Amino acid sequence: MTWGKIQRPKTKSHSPMFKKVLIANRGEIAVRIIRSCRELGISVVSIYSEADAKGLHVRLADEAVCVGPAPSNQSYLNIDAIIAAAKSTGAEAVHPGYGFLAENADFARAVLSAGLTFIGPSPAAMAVMGSKTSARRAAVEAEVPIVPGTVEPLSSFGETKATANKFGYPVMLKAAAGGGGKGMRLVQGDEELLSAFETAQAEAASAFGDSSIYLEKAVERPRHIEIQIFADSRGNVVHLGERECSIQRRHQKVIEECPSPINDPILRQRMGEAAVKMAKTVNYLGAGTVEFLVADTTREFYFLEMNTRLQVEHPVTELVTGFDLVREQFRVAAGDELSFTQQDIGWTGHAIECRIYAEDPANNFFPSPGTITDLHEPSGPGIRLDSGVYVGSDVSIHYDPMIAKLAVWGRTRAEAIERLHRALDEYEVCGITTTLPFFREVVKDEEFQRGQLDTGFIERFNSRRASAPLAQPTKEETHMAIIAAALDYRNRQLKVRQSSTSRSNSWKLSGRHAALNVGRSITAKTSSKWRKP
Amino acid sequence: MEEALRLRAVLDNHDCEVVIDKLDDILRVTVDGHSYRLEAHKIGEISYLLLNDHRVYDCRVESKSRERFEVKLNKHVYGITIADPRRLKPDENSDRHQRGPTEIAAQMPGKVVRVLVEPGAEVETGAGIVVVEAMKMQNEMKTPRAGIVLSLNVSPGDTVTSGEVLATVGDKE
Repeated sequence: MTWGKIQRPKTKSHSPMFKKVLIANRGEIAVRIIRSCRELGISVVSIYSEADAKGLHVRLADEAVCVGPAPSNQSYLNIDAIIAAAKSTGAEAVHPGYGFLAENADFARAVLSAGLTFIGPSPAAMAVMGSKTSARRAAVEAEVPIVPGTVEPLSSFGETKATANKFGYPVMLKAAAGGGGKGMRLVQGDEELLSAFETAQAEAASAFGDSSIYLEKAVERPRHIEIQIFADSRGNVVHLGERECSIQRRHQKVIEECPSPINDPILRQRMGEAAVKMAKTVNYLGAGTVEFLVADTTREFYFLEMNTRLQVEHPVTELVTGFDLVREQFRVAAGDELSFTQQDIGWTGHAIECRIYAEDPANNFFPSPGTITDLHEPSGPGIRLDSGVYVGSDVSIHYDPMIAKLAVWGRTRAEAIERLHRALDEYEVCGITTTLPFFREVVKDEEFQRGQLDTGFIERFNSRRASAPLAQPTKEETHMAIIAAALDYRNRQLKVRQSSTSRSNSWKLSGRHAALNVGRSITAKTSSKWRKP
Repeated sequence: MEEALRLRAVLDNHDCEVVIDKLDDILRVTVDGHSYRLEAHKIGEISYLLLNDHRVYDCRVESKSRERFEVKLNKHVYGITIADPRRLKPDENSDRHQRGPTEIAAQMPGKVVRVLVEPGAEVETGAGIVVVEAMKMQNEMKTPRAGIVLSLNVSPGDTVTSGEVLATVGDKE
């Protein structure tokens, strides 16, 4: 199997690569970026908050600078401190990762004014895509379809009703200033419209301080499919195909795939071309993602938004295309040409990624911070794990609870699912609760296996899951768990006793010897302690 | 003749007895009336590898408190409470001659169901002092030493917390 064509290094014009880069992020994405830096021989400066002094991204860096206290608005969002850290360490460029300041045009401007390179697009391009309305206007300019609807806020209920009837039900009322599902209402008919209009307005006012709403035709069973694009400063813009991100909860992606289970080369090409047009309209540079809603039935697609940064789910694209997107980001930021053309890009096999969160799926995905006491990470054929933690890591309440991304590759979607199943079974995180059990159930779900995905998947899955009987452990398994707990109880008692009496300590012995003492030490101690009266 | 270790385990409101005995490198264990001969290895800080008739059980044990454990095995998570019914808290040296009063403490939170002695009573080593019920299990708290019951701090019906001193036993005047 090959991934696209063999790349020949472009030698015609070569810009010198950065010698030192500051990574303005933390966790798994900082670690991911560090890996590409190492391959390119770039020296790494990490930043950290007081809560992250022992973070993996600090341990792996060449230099690390504390930029403030734990709350991110005082540290990872502290533009002045981050710029000062870059200046004091002599970094030439700043990689923002995703989240935090990655889509903050002011930050990009501050980086540029400090005489440094921002690994990402221009502040102007970020600003256009940062606003819903200007992004929609850019789409119209690029002749990319947007969800049919109004482009200006609705002035009255009368206008809303007339507009709804013009586009036809179902329609979606959305807050103009919106996001995160606030001020958003799905309306099926005239009779529901008034109450939906009023609640959407009220929600928008309280959430965004702006009650203006607009109307879109509702896309039924929408798939959330996005296109990865890449642009260099020489005017080359390519797309690297799609990622299916329909499995979401609370408007947050949890499982992503490349290609989409639809796997339609014509649709890919049409969406890819639309995304490239969008990028060209704003004179884009670097890695970006254009998100679309795709109607499951008609395969019509509509522009949703553009993310002007690396995506969390970029590994699935990397697995299927064979390119290192972060490496390419450095390359084009340094002024080089893209190392591949559109014709070089091919898609081989299928990749799926799960976002592993420190959340309790049995308790409504409640955050589960704590210290990781043990970690068994999957590996072997087709497995890629982007993790930001280690045994002893503190998963803090201050930041996003995603601790790792597990991505798998298989020749087919079915093979990738089998591999994911296996990898999830291998994966164990102790000390905190994670979403691993949830994913183990998802991969067994028939609808998931059939690739019947849309943004309503999790809701349907949860109702199926509630009615499905849970697999019960066998009696022998239960007994073994009890025995293990009993052995641990005993060993802990012995440890306390031995340390208090400073006798020679069998706990200092390691490996097999100590292991055998599990049994031996129990009886050795009990013989004296529990003599029958 | 060595005596087996006897513990109580509680899982999902079901309590059972665990008896662990040694036979060379093999553990002889009885859980809830089922007997096993196991090969047991402790790996690292929290892993216990148990082999029963070649079947592999790789258990991860996290201790949540002195008695509460969370065991992960084959994707299942078990919340297990372990208690030593005869554990007498301050008695670390019961096989030696005791001097000074000895406190008899509750092993886990529970309710006092019976008081078996009166203050001032003379007791022999191992005599039952108080019976505490916890998680449907009745535990007889015994004195690790002979002597006089110097104080008795609880009565039937009292709720006690883990570690609470139920009685003290000391030397005769």
